[in-house]
Amino acid sequence: MRVMLAEDSALLREGLVRLLQEEGHDVLAAVGDAGALLEAVAGERPEAVVVDVRMPPTHTDEGLRAALEIRRRWPEVKVLVLSQYVEKKYATELMGGSIDGVGYLLKDRVAEVGDFLDALDRVGAGGTAFDPEVVRQLLARTSHADPLARLTAREREVLELMAQGLTNASIAQALHVSQSAVEKHVNALFDKLALSHITGYSRRVLAVLRYLGS
Amino acid sequence: MRWTVRGLRLVGAVTAGAVTALLGVVFVLAAAPFADRPAVRAAAARMTGLELRRLRLDLPGRDADGELRYLAARVPVGLLGGLVVLLLVIGASVAVRLLWSWSRGEALDGMLPTPPLLAYAFLSGVVLLFLNLSGLVGVDVLERRLAVRLLVPDPTEALRRRIAELTESRAGVVAVVDAERRRIERDLHDGVQQRLVALSMLAGRARRGRPELLEQLHEQARQALVELREVAWRVYPSGLDAHGLAEALAGVAERAAVTVRVTCELPVRPPVPVETAAYFVASEAVTNAAKHSRATLVAIEVRQEGTMVVVRVRDDGIGGADATGGGLTGLARRVAALDGRFTVTSPPGGPTVVEAELPCA
Repeated sequence: MRVMLAEDSALLREGLVRLLQEEGHDVLAAVGDAGALLEAVAGERPEAVVVDVRMPPTHTDEGLRAALEIRRRWPEVKVLVLSQYVEKKYATELMGGSIDGVGYLLKDRVAEVGDFLDALDRVGAGGTAFDPEVVRQLLARTSHADPLARLTAREREVLELMAQGLTNASIAQALHVSQSAVEKHVNALFDKLALSHITGYSRRVLAVLRYLGS
Repeated sequence: MRWTVRGLRLVGAVTAGAVTALLGVVFVLAAAPFADRPAVRAAAARMTGLELRRLRLDLPGRDADGELRYLAARVPVGLLGGLVVLLLVIGASVAVRLLWSWSRGEALDGMLPTPPLLAYAFLSGVVLLFLNLSGLVGVDVLERRLAVRLLVPDPTEALRRRIAELTESRAGVVAVVDAERRRIERDLHDGVQQRLVALSMLAGRARRGRPELLEQLHEQARQALVELREVAWRVYPSGLDAHGLAEALAGVAERAAVTVRVTCELPVRPPVPVETAAYFVASEAVTNAAKHSRATLVAIEVRQEGTMVVVRVRDDGIGGADATGGGLTGLARRVAALDGRFTVTSPPGGPTVVEAELPCA
């Protein structure tokens, strides 16, 4: 995949470039701030960008602004955002439009090399990747405790994985159960959450997250 | 004997007061139109200082705005004192002439020393002397009262000022704490965390079939530890409590990017808050010098002066330091919270001197 990187820590940037190259990705540009990323993307369209939220000059949300800008101007470019902390506001802003080809990971997740690469692949393929921690916090903070309270522990687990953007097959793998069992849980929880009318893989993530994060 | 000394001193003080009153008239008339100029204010402060020394009055925290007014107001009192002294001189000379003539049996103004006349002269002399001395004492008391009245801000006003000061310094302390927390968060995020993430990434890559990365991994782990130690040290130098200020400042000198000379001469260990403030003044000033001033040498000097610990940091850099910048404002607030004094002098071309006086009482 043709990828661009924006990360202000030189050390981490270097590591990411190496990692992606070892995985066979083609790193077109690796830059240290949001402005440079926008320029690079404008110059040569990558398939996906990986961008850190906190970058100079203000170290607040430059990266996120850049990600949203890229989504707006070049919708075909997939965006994977790395965030210092779980910021509900950022997550919801990212989900503002279509969430095909969007990912929001905690920065520390990069340390789980496998997870990070999977997330990038999912996003690159037009899917979604939300950090388990993000999902967990959104679930924990939800004001709609009632319908959630009616979920069984298993259904909750399925919901979390689903919200991260996993397919039923991957969920079955992660939970060591059969795919049909997962489908049963999914249907049950959609019923409980009154979302059963929605179809399509990313729409379900969107629906779940929107619902939880509202 | 003691009374004689005190009496003579009083006469001296009142006489001097009369002389300075004459000078004061000239000064006040000349200076009144330019009352707000710094030079005039400094002169008034000097003259007021002299007056207070003459009256042997110590007025800490005197009101600089009242000085010119005080100098004007004390002119009549000073001149009155002069007249009283003049009467004393006249009385004494009359007494001397009487004694001189009568002791040789001569008449003075046709008066011979008959017993009634002797008694009359003695009595009236004693009464007049008493009145005159009372006048001297009165003038002195008047002078003192006037000084206190015009130079010491009234207690309510003083309290109001103090409350304003405290409110400001309290808000300042909160701001300092917040700024430091932000800095710590930034330190942790930009340094330690990035290193650890990179480190775990290396580990991940090594596990994915690149065992030759292990050596790099080890090196980065070491780096991360160093970084962590540095961050922790910047948050609070652990050596400060255990080994005192001199040791902690030696640590600053070791870590600094410029050459730092430390002179720390404290006969006794100051209280912990003072020590901590002194440490942060010095270390922050050194950091600033290393970052902005292009200095090659920084000298830290810590001395005890009376009840004050004085910290001076001087660098040979280009000067032009901004006292309203973040770091220096933080230091000023930290020092203000301890009722200390904080000054930065940094003319263009240098040298920059940061000085803090921290009360230990």
